[in-house]
Amino acid sequence: MIYLNQAATSWPKPESVLAAYEQAVRALPSSQFRSSAGDDDAAGKTRQALGQLLGIRDTGRIFFSSGATDSANAIIYGLPFEGHRIFATETEHNSVLRPLVNLLEPVYGPQTGDVRIIPCDETGYVAPEAVARALDVIAEPSVVFVNHMSNVTGRIQDLAAISRAVHEAGAILIVDAAQSAGCVPVCADEWGIDVLILTGHKSLYGMQGTGAYYVRDGIPFRPYRYGGTGRDSRKLYYRDDQPDAYEYEVGTQNGPGIAALGAGVRYCLERGVDAIAEHERGLMTVCSRELRKIPGVKVYGWPEGKESDYGPVLSFNIGGMKAGDVAYILQNAYGIIVRAGLQCAPLIHQEMGTYADGTVRVSVSDMNVMSEIEALVRAVREIAESVPNPDAGPAAGSDDRSAAGAAAKGGRL
Amino acid sequence: MKILEIIPSRENCVEAGWYAYDYLLAAPVDKALVDLLRPLGSMTYLGMLRRPFFKIDTAEYSIKGIEGNDFFRIAVDDQRRECLDRINAFLEAADWPAAGR
Repeated sequence: MIYLNQAATSWPKPESVLAAYEQAVRALPSSQFRSSAGDDDAAGKTRQALGQLLGIRDTGRIFFSSGATDSANAIIYGLPFEGHRIFATETEHNSVLRPLVNLLEPVYGPQTGDVRIIPCDETGYVAPEAVARALDVIAEPSVVFVNHMSNVTGRIQDLAAISRAVHEAGAILIVDAAQSAGCVPVCADEWGIDVLILTGHKSLYGMQGTGAYYVRDGIPFRPYRYGGTGRDSRKLYYRDDQPDAYEYEVGTQNGPGIAALGAGVRYCLERGVDAIAEHERGLMTVCSRELRKIPGVKVYGWPEGKESDYGPVLSFNIGGMKAGDVAYILQNAYGIIVRAGLQCAPLIHQEMGTYADGTVRVSVSDMNVMSEIEALVRAVREIAESVPNPDAGPAAGSDDRSAAGAAAKGGRL
Repeated sequence: MKILEIIPSRENCVEAGWYAYDYLLAAPVDKALVDLLRPLGSMTYLGMLRRPFFKIDTAEYSIKGIEGNDFFRIAVDDQRRECLDRINAFLEAADWPAAGR
């Protein structure tokens, strides 16, 4: 079996991750004095490693979660959005879009709940100028959600430039790095990221059910869950005028998962994100170049000479075939696992002209090798050659925008 | 026994409102079985592949499989799951090719 669905969950994991997980599960649980605050326990070491990898000095403001969706919900519930205008890009994943469009309006009313969508182009690129233009016409304080790297096309955003546009407008920048952390450089402090959303099970090589988020000191933030923390058990009430006393990691934490996440992050640090990116880009450059040579195949993004603008994800279609059928054949006739459909990111498919049937997504990790890409290309060539009329059919681009338009009521800018 | 078991597919597309079931067979799918299924809808057959792919589409359901595999998949619209009963009745009554018995 060849696994090219790394953007969903990375597999296999580095041996060090498996060892860390097993060691944590086998170890005696923490004592009656439960602690998660120290720098020398697994949680503290993982926080330190995340800070080093992502360019965050204040690692005490990194909090663990069950993944990017949990992180996004914590942030969308926990930031005081009253009176703010909310922006999100067209490349966002449903882990951000769904909490935005479902949670905000009941809490803050229709104006804040009216999420405005900043467009991308057909490759998934969001121009910093488009962000600046969107904010320029808004009088209220604003919050901008930006997906660092598209999980559909792999397009990486220019976060430094977007951050300048956001902060010149006095807005807050919230970055979803679920797809990029570990395989693309992230410099949170240097770029001025206010809030960062992470997941553990993709390019950080952790387990499913682990993640984290970072909230810069000074950004008002309150917990969206309360419960046991192992500290100060007599205290029942938390007060808004004492924000330093808030606790964000409540309930028994996923210790083995956090230990494994730490091992995954250390793998990235020891290997080097640049070295990982170079390896993965080498695979994807061959993949995009060879797929493009096959008659009837359309690759979305990845123009020749611009490969460094992309992370290890690409989408393609075969004319005359539905993406789901191509993925089915790849898996069940060739033993190659990819992902078909809208990849939980519906809005970007509007720009790609693939909203009706989606795309076939290929994604690699540091564990993949060139022979696997060559096998994929051979299989896609055979499938494309078997299609009676590869220039016809759904892959040419259906464009049903009505349903997605309803998802973001604030509309496209 | 022609169909050993019907199990919910691991690759359910619940996201799109479709539910998928894998029909596990006593013998691998062959061309005769594909032809047997042909009356169930509009057929696409990619016979040039080393392991041919077939797909049968209707508005209510979609059936697809690969020759040589010991299963095929039926995906059905969530609102029209009762059509599975019709498909199952057709399969029960069908004159199965020898390989499928």
